[in-house]
Amino acid sequence: MQKRNISPNNFEQCVKCAICTDFCPVLKVLPSYPGPKHGGPDGERLRLKNALFFDSNLKYCLNCKRCEVACPSGVRIADIIHSARDRYGEDRPSLRDWMLANTDTMGTLASPFAPVVNGALGLGVTKSVLDGVMKIDHRRTFPKYAGRKFTTWFRREAEAAQAGYKKQVSYFHGCYVNYNYPQLGKDFVRVMNALGYGVRLLDKEKCCGVAMMSGGMFDAARRNAAVNLASVGAAASEGRLTLTTSSTCTLTMREEYPGVLGIDNEAVRDDIVLAVRFIFEAVERGEVQLAFKEGFRARAAYHVPCHMEKLGWSLFTRALMERIPGMELVPLESICCGIAGTYGFKKENYERSQRIGQPLFDNIAQVRPDFVVCECETCKWQIEMSTGVEVRNPISVLAEALDLEATAALNHQ
Amino acid sequence: MNNEYDVIIIGGGITGAGTARDCALRGLRVLLVERGDIADGATGRNHGLLHSGARYAVKDGESARECIAENRILRRIAPHCVEDTQGLFITLPEDEEAGYGLDYQQRFIQACRDAGISAEAMDPREAVRLEPSVNPRLIGAVKVPDGSVDPFKLCAANILDARLHGADILTYAEVQSLILEGSAVRGIRVRKRRSGETAEYRARVTVNAAGIWGQAIVRMAGAQISMFPAKGALLVFAHRVNHVVINRCRKSADGDILVPGDTVTVIGTTSTKIPFEDCDDLNVTPDEVALLLREGSQLCPTLASTRILRAYAGVRPLVAADNDPSGRNISRGIVCLDHATRDGIESFVTITGGKLMTYRLMAQMATDAVCDKLGVSEPCTTHTALLPPTVDNAFTAGTPDGELVCECENVTMGQIRSAIRNFDIHSLADLRRRTRVGMGTCQGTYCVRKAAAALAEAQGSPADARPLAEEYLGERWKGMMPVGWGDTLREMEFMQRVFKAGAPSTFK
Amino acid sequence: MKFDVIIIGSGQAGMQVAAALQRSGRKTAVIGLGRSINEVEVKPYEQLGGTLLIGDSVTGGIFDGDRLQAVRTANLGAYPLEADDFVIATGKFLGRGLVADMDGIYEPLFGLDVDYDPDRSHWFDADFGACQPFLRFGVRTDAQSRPSVGGRTVTNLYACGELLAGVSAVEGRDAIAGSAARVIGQLKPSDHAEA
Repeated sequence: MQKRNISPNNFEQCVKCAICTDFCPVLKVLPSYPGPKHGGPDGERLRLKNALFFDSNLKYCLNCKRCEVACPSGVRIADIIHSARDRYGEDRPSLRDWMLANTDTMGTLASPFAPVVNGALGLGVTKSVLDGVMKIDHRRTFPKYAGRKFTTWFRREAEAAQAGYKKQVSYFHGCYVNYNYPQLGKDFVRVMNALGYGVRLLDKEKCCGVAMMSGGMFDAARRNAAVNLASVGAAASEGRLTLTTSSTCTLTMREEYPGVLGIDNEAVRDDIVLAVRFIFEAVERGEVQLAFKEGFRARAAYHVPCHMEKLGWSLFTRALMERIPGMELVPLESICCGIAGTYGFKKENYERSQRIGQPLFDNIAQVRPDFVVCECETCKWQIEMSTGVEVRNPISVLAEALDLEATAALNHQ
Repeated sequence: MNNEYDVIIIGGGITGAGTARDCALRGLRVLLVERGDIADGATGRNHGLLHSGARYAVKDGESARECIAENRILRRIAPHCVEDTQGLFITLPEDEEAGYGLDYQQRFIQACRDAGISAEAMDPREAVRLEPSVNPRLIGAVKVPDGSVDPFKLCAANILDARLHGADILTYAEVQSLILEGSAVRGIRVRKRRSGETAEYRARVTVNAAGIWGQAIVRMAGAQISMFPAKGALLVFAHRVNHVVINRCRKSADGDILVPGDTVTVIGTTSTKIPFEDCDDLNVTPDEVALLLREGSQLCPTLASTRILRAYAGVRPLVAADNDPSGRNISRGIVCLDHATRDGIESFVTITGGKLMTYRLMAQMATDAVCDKLGVSEPCTTHTALLPPTVDNAFTAGTPDGELVCECENVTMGQIRSAIRNFDIHSLADLRRRTRVGMGTCQGTYCVRKAAAALAEAQGSPADARPLAEEYLGERWKGMMPVGWGDTLREMEFMQRVFKAGAPSTFK
Repeated sequence: MKFDVIIIGSGQAGMQVAAALQRSGRKTAVIGLGRSINEVEVKPYEQLGGTLLIGDSVTGGIFDGDRLQAVRTANLGAYPLEADDFVIATGKFLGRGLVADMDGIYEPLFGLDVDYDPDRSHWFDADFGACQPFLRFGVRTDAQSRPSVGGRTVTNLYACGELLAGVSAVEGRDAIAGSAARVIGQLKPSDHAEA
């Protein structure tokens, strides 16, 4: 009785130290926001008494999870807030939330007409329409849609060669790689091939669901989660890990599926791994060799995305980047950039989003790096838009720094 | 405040408060005196169960009928103090082995119906759907109209309404002696505990509604009453585990009622006779804690791993029948004594026994006795007259009054200021009983400074904030000690640290 | 990943040890369950190039006899973090360095030997302002600040800060700093001055 004292009610572990409030970026710029303590564990207790205690201001939560990282009691504060939005939030998602959240659908519709859409999204008139009708802020630069989806490229140009590799991995490319930035996917395939791994797509891949959760569409996110977990499970049963290049997709599938959506992913959780971690571990175990280009020189700043902080895996990125000869990696202060996925796209959040990120932008301006290293695509949009400095995924950095042919030779013996 | 009244009521618990209100509503000039704060005795130290009466139905049909009648009245006159949770009486396999199986359940249902209490047998699976936290091993369940009641609010509402009808309320005034003239009680001599002053108040009738402390009052009049203090210990779990009251469908025993009240769940109780000298300093023992947890987990298995906020105990004022001074055959029914007929002492009435649920009926009986003596024929209206709200709740976020003080219990500065205006508040414990400030998960660690500063400022002595805070935490500390392990012990360490080693910046 | 020293606990004592060792050229990592309630600055340590794993918790150790070889964490899963030496400074109950249940008190990471009174009614003084006995409970160490498991000293693990029996922030920070300095002395005997 009361052995080990592990309450299934995680919010009870809160001792009200309020450290989380010090690390909440929203509270700094929006005083009416209840904050992680009051919106999270305090609020949960009050909501159990009466659902009327649900505060609709909780929609301003960035889900950056910095409260959870800061919490000395292990309270899953952001999960509590998100779950409360799911259970008590009465706000019906608007058309705008639907458009931003259904990244799959948006991407599918837009891609074949990319030059037109990109032009349109850059035009003042369209932006004003988005601003007025959809309430997407007109100052926001929209991520460009690529002309050819990553999956199309992969099937036409890369897939055939993959079977030739003895070792195989699956790739969860995510919406961003597929629709907006196929180059990262291509970099990933080139690097993995050089390391001696063939890359396979999952049987079926859906958006991880993070944007849907942010927009309040929890049931839609659950449907996507079921598809993704089944695909990851199928790959695992054939001996393939599922690698990712996005820290947010990774965190969502590993942590939020059980924590927010209530879906048990225990069986496949550890089969979902960020590529940087996978590669570092393989190098460390001596299973793969890296050969770098002569004369690679770069001064890069490392921005650890919020979800990478939560995953606690930034040490792998840092260690891998530090293996690159000629690479100087300057750590940036650990601050949220303010975009938080689709959050910063919403008109009502734009100003706040920029104010949250300002200290980071200042820090980057002060470091003056050649580029910023970062595992998150939405941080990339935000930082590039707000500082003009290019942001690269560590896998792309690796693709550039490696002598791929020499590396391939080392790993194909 | 003049010194002459129609009636003086001794005791600011729910019985005294109810009696003061009833007397005031019937047009009497009323003084209520209380040695401490209102509701700080047994009134505030129970389950807060709005009994349906089902619990008494098999053994004591009269109590059951009283309960269901008062249950319906309270829902009507004090909707803001009552929550309609409904209640379940569950049968577990071990109850069956002990002779309280489903045949007993049938007897129970019949007895409830005989007393006018709706009692509906439920399929166990249906019971689990109604209350997911209930022990899934149950083999039977009966749904009854139990509820929960906020005894602090209920008592304060009675006090406030009495005052609205002209009653004077004097708290922190201890009765030192009765003014006796010949064979009659003519009033009281009190010592005001804050100032140390003494004073005399006279009245045509004096009512003793002092609970367990009433035995001493009777003795002051030169009579005897045999009371037996029975300690009941309870545990407060840190959140609402259940939403429906859960009882065991068997003979009443220790730890067989689980009540969701406000933000928490309370399990109780035990029953131990204690000496009178312990009544003012009740401690909950490790054995009582273990027993309550063991029994509580039978009602609701997750209690075994749920954080416990604190333990507390109250004293039931059990009264021995006049023909049984040994107390072997104690009733828990209402005892209203006219000391003129019983002891030849004029103008003196004792109202005791009973329970929170029947306070209004007790007040009515006492007031009837008073009116009888005064020749007043005004009828009782407390079964229909609504009780007022106690503390103003409507404060807007972003204004100074809307500022949150207690984040666990969502208490605003406005509520605190309103309580200080409406009631005689001297300590943070008084303020807690009016507003719930500091009653939550952290037991005041987070909010005590702010609340103490507000109170000290209202009292015009800002320098008192720290002693007020320390006094409060000292009181909280005592309740946490019996359950000091797990996250509660972590909280206790934090509390020590905040007040002895300096607070983190978020607290300043 | 291999470090010279891994420090478990990011409070006052842990960060003091970590910064001193990192400054002296050792490769260190700090694993901390959240931010310290004492508002300990971590930036100087990061600027020294230390590896800070905040929001992570040790789930267990890999032992070779009486030597701790590596630890595993919640975030890193099966991936072990190795080191020559380890420092544990996880605090008392609040920091989860010690866990109390109804029947006793234990050290949750490695099951280190703990000094405490098994009678729960002796854990507290009813006077809130008095010195509270439970704040004096903690891990027992040898003269070299090394704790033990079942009476056997863990040869490369050092304990400091509030985790120790007799050390509590409530009674002042000096004892915490002193215990950290002793551990620094053990791990960096050549340079006592920086403690």
